[in-house]
Amino acid sequence: MIVVKDVSKQYGDFTALEDISLEFSNGLYGLLAPNGAGKTTLIKMLATLISPSSGEIQYNGENIIAMDQRYRELLGFLPQQFGFYKNYSPAQYLLYLAALKGIPKQQARLKIDELLAKVALSDVKHKKMKKFSGGMIQRVGIAQALLNDPKILILDEPTAGLDPKERARFRHLLTDLARERLVIISTHIVSDIESIANEIIMIKNKRLLYKDSVEQICDTLHNAVYETTVDFGQLDEFRKRHVLLSEKQEYGKMIVRFIHKGEKKDGWIPVQPQLEDVFLYEYQDEMIEGL
Amino acid sequence: MQIVWNEIKKILTWKSLLLLLIINCILYFFLIDFYIKHFPNGRPALDSYRLGIEMIEKYGPTMDDEEFKDFMKTYEVRVKEADRYLQTEKVAVAEGIDTYEKFNSYEWFKASKEAGELRDRLFFEDGTDLFWELQERSRLIGFYEGKEMYSSNATPAQLKRYEELAKEGVFGTYPEVAISNFRDYITNVAVAILFSVVAVMSLAILRDRTRHIVSLQYTARKGRNLLKTKLLAGFVSTLLVITGLLVIYMGLYSLNDTSMYFNVRVNTFIGNESWYNPTFFQYILFTIGGIYLVGIVFGLAAMGFSTIVPNTLTLLGAQIPFVRAFSFSACTD
Repeated sequence: MIVVKDVSKQYGDFTALEDISLEFSNGLYGLLAPNGAGKTTLIKMLATLISPSSGEIQYNGENIIAMDQRYRELLGFLPQQFGFYKNYSPAQYLLYLAALKGIPKQQARLKIDELLAKVALSDVKHKKMKKFSGGMIQRVGIAQALLNDPKILILDEPTAGLDPKERARFRHLLTDLARERLVIISTHIVSDIESIANEIIMIKNKRLLYKDSVEQICDTLHNAVYETTVDFGQLDEFRKRHVLLSEKQEYGKMIVRFIHKGEKKDGWIPVQPQLEDVFLYEYQDEMIEGL
Repeated sequence: MQIVWNEIKKILTWKSLLLLLIINCILYFFLIDFYIKHFPNGRPALDSYRLGIEMIEKYGPTMDDEEFKDFMKTYEVRVKEADRYLQTEKVAVAEGIDTYEKFNSYEWFKASKEAGELRDRLFFEDGTDLFWELQERSRLIGFYEGKEMYSSNATPAQLKRYEELAKEGVFGTYPEVAISNFRDYITNVAVAILFSVVAVMSLAILRDRTRHIVSLQYTARKGRNLLKTKLLAGFVSTLLVITGLLVIYMGLYSLNDTSMYFNVRVNTFIGNESWYNPTFFQYILFTIGGIYLVGIVFGLAAMGFSTIVPNTLTLLGAQIPFVRAFSFSACTD
């Protein structure tokens, strides 16, 4: 079990994360927040790439920094920017990383074959990666994270560059993996984790906002998400007064999905809140700033 | 061991070996080729080289007073040969330069056209080595008789050392052509090797950083200790590059055929004062050791820069002053 205890991270005067406390046991956790919210900082601390400015992270009661090699032996990590050598083939590169992970060569070769088959790259295992698409590179990244059969798998934006089919395949893979290990996925794409995560962690204003199941997080908007039909002429006014989640044109009118926490009006149909609704609601200010 | 080997393979790729080849081809033709192609470079360097070999064969790596007498005797025999040669030349007889002594003391700046033509013919057209050889013998005799080292601009400590050496019978006697050629050659070789080492080692660590591979490496079991392994791999690669290039360059140097001079001590060569007095061969070994030392320092410095600078351009900018300073000081010394 990983316990994050009152962790803060500062870079000079800038605070990236403040007073975060979390607990992780086996299962799949989705770390969901917009870009720049501090997800990668938390991921980097969990991967021991950076140390907390205050607080500590423990694995089974032991500080992960102090565990050093013993912790990294348990760790599989896919960084946000997966780097590789263009002139290496996937097999060569995985063999290189396997050596760094302390896996004997013969054992590594077998594991590499198995993993490349799992990520559908067996056919190109000896081809140089410089000709690979973004999705293929990302699949190599996923394979490398699994090389040492990690107990803790941390994936930072793992679906970047994957097409919808690859994403679906990846979700299945993660579901299988999370049965017997701890998997933490950082993403800003709600659909990547909504259907597979046991728990969602959301960070807002450098602090922990939610750590709960999808259902419970969605419950925070219970009876607050509606759909209604709006004339084109009223749309601008409607946008100003409500948090719009989606807009769809149909038969010359607009069907809008929105959040309203006050009294329900006629013609508003209450709908089941989705994780994306919560995400859009909670980060509406940050997303407007980001535009 | 596997990790070190992997890191070495990352440094010594076919691309970096191609870069080495290009750098060394360019520098070879600009800086080094001359010292192989043109050794000994013209006259009297050729005579100097030949006389040096003759002296080593006859007297060994040093020449004492008794041996010098023999050297003088040979000189006199060769002078007589020159006399006989001049007496067969009508122009020489007509101009009154029918002996080598007269030939030597002749006021050539006032020479008639015929005398000038005779001199040119003797030195440059007839293929006669005798007059070149005598000039060089005469120069060597002058140095032996002077029995002293050059002492211009010498500090008191250096003068004291020269006196000590002179008392031991160590002074510049043997022709300097071989060691001077080696000094010029090895200086330029050192510059080529230094450039090669810096070029190959510079990107060793930066490359992983710019390609975002460090986070993968540091989260693997090996962790941040990998930096030490990278430095070790860089050190080994530096040694391999230096050794490879030295093998090639010393192989090329062997074409100069100076091995006969190897047992002669540095201070026995004219104008080669040294605090220590190693043999020419030991001197070669010292310079090779020096190249390894400087190469390793620059290789490690290149890797050091590689760990801190943000990109290749900054890396080049940071290193150019150091490499230029070394090249400049090496080439001007």
